[in-house]
Amino acid sequence: MELLCLGLNHRTAPIEVRERFAVSTPQLGAAASDLATLADATEGVVISTCNRTEFYLAASDARQALVLLEARLTLRESLDAGAAVHFYRKVKSDAAVHLCRVVSGLDSMMLGETEIFGQVKQAYQAALAAGTTGSVLNRLFQRAFGVGKKVRTETSIQEGSTSVGSVAVDLAEKIFGHLKDSEVMILGAGEMSRITAQSLVSRGARSIFVSNRSFDRAEALARDMGGQAVRFDDWQRALERVDVVISSTGAPHALVHRADVEKVRRARKFRPLFFIDIAVPRDIHPDVADIEEVYLYDIDALEQLASEGRTRRQLQIEHCERIIDAELAKLNLPGT
Amino acid sequence: MDRWFLLIATLLAAIGGIWGMISVHRGTRSHWTVVWMVAVLLCQLGFLSIRGQLRSACPLHDLGEMLVFLAWSLTLFYLLIGPAYRISLLGVFSAPLVFLLQSAALIAGLLTTSSTPDFAPNIFHSLHSAISVLAYGVLALAGVASIMFLVLDRQLKVHRLKSGLFRNLPPAHELLVSVERLLWLGTALLTLGIIAGFLMPPTTPLHSHLVVALAVWVGYAALLAVKTLRGLTGRKLALATVALFILSLVIFARI
Repeated sequence: MELLCLGLNHRTAPIEVRERFAVSTPQLGAAASDLATLADATEGVVISTCNRTEFYLAASDARQALVLLEARLTLRESLDAGAAVHFYRKVKSDAAVHLCRVVSGLDSMMLGETEIFGQVKQAYQAALAAGTTGSVLNRLFQRAFGVGKKVRTETSIQEGSTSVGSVAVDLAEKIFGHLKDSEVMILGAGEMSRITAQSLVSRGARSIFVSNRSFDRAEALARDMGGQAVRFDDWQRALERVDVVISSTGAPHALVHRADVEKVRRARKFRPLFFIDIAVPRDIHPDVADIEEVYLYDIDALEQLASEGRTRRQLQIEHCERIIDAELAKLNLPGT
Repeated sequence: MDRWFLLIATLLAAIGGIWGMISVHRGTRSHWTVVWMVAVLLCQLGFLSIRGQLRSACPLHDLGEMLVFLAWSLTLFYLLIGPAYRISLLGVFSAPLVFLLQSAALIAGLLTTSSTPDFAPNIFHSLHSAISVLAYGVLALAGVASIMFLVLDRQLKVHRLKSGLFRNLPPAHELLVSVERLLWLGTALLTLGIIAGFLMPPTTPLHSHLVVALAVWVGYAALLAVKTLRGLTGRKLALATVALFILSLVIFARI
């Protein structure tokens, strides 16, 4: 038996192609069963996430099975012959290494992300339940999960924040600990503030206040996020109670000045206040950072931290690959 | 024998501190610090029990014993509070202070060589000494947590967030909550210690020791009152906690 993998991902195929091959989670078992009916194939697993669809097979002749599988997919999706450029093909040990890289998050759009581990596990379990796995794929996937865990525990591939939103959330947690008692105010109903605020809410932030020059937009965003709209003239009053302020208005000059914060310090009992200024030009005057209990981060500071996080993860790739090679070398996996 | 216990406790505190600092520098969390500190506590107990048996009373008769008792109290409350609040790094910050206090106790002259029994121990005298030193141990721990907050606050302010120390420090809010709770506990114990002091037989006239003790108590009580009623920035609370603890050391110089 030989192991093979045919797949496409965010690097090889545009979304228009990827979405044609996407398989919904409840259909993963049926897709694996269908895969295993391919002439010559004995086992099959289908992995499908928003960024990739991959078909893992065990067949007596890997090259022959690849040709058959590709032809079947092209025919089913009515793709022209040019579609072949979107696929990558891995056989034997290359396929095993590739799966370990996928499970470890090394092949993900966001390097080191952890969600993929669960998604692959789900795909494998669906195939297992459908009875389409055997000695080759069972050992391969179990080994890959072990390698994925080892990579995560022995390297810092998943450490640090790599996007502006996640940096802001991590900083908020470093200041306030659990966010369940934290209240957030959004100044300006822009997309970036919405995403950042959503991240804070997903980590438990208690309530959201939205203030925008257009009250209708503030109300719409507040409704979306289960928060409360605040008239733009009243944002200073809301400042008395909130812990985090995310600002991204299109104002041509600073909106929050030192005096605005000084005014509410007593009422706030000098509690820490975290300003996330993602607007350009900046909404928060830099002088605000001179207030003792204020932590101010503008878009450059956040982007720099995210970039450092990405660089740190990049530096870990080689270490992760060494672990994968060493772990796979320990076993004589069938099909490789 | 008692000095051997103290010497070993001091060395263990030094090793625990250095071990923890190396771990922090590497960006990992040192769970072994807690183990080292448990060993420190056991050796401190060994020292204090031998001294207590020799004196047939609470071993708080010379400055050396008081410093060791203070270090013991600091270690004890770290072990009680640190893991509960998931602030294991507190041990790394506490170990150097324990090392310093015990090293000072080992300096010639501070620890009397022959511990003579106290034939007429007074219960209130023993209570006053024991509870007060226990209180200073708690307040020392509040000082240690304050220093941790000041380090974190500075790093957050200047956006220097790359160090292993930053990654391992607990959230600023958790540190401030710990500082405040330790201040309440320390001040409550200090109050009991002072009350016990007033109940002691009036063998000595009002002296500078009492004045300094009352001044320290007023300082801590005022700090808590301001924090509760008016509010205080984290930095001011932390700085005041450290300053008050340093001031309270004068008490030991007046013994």
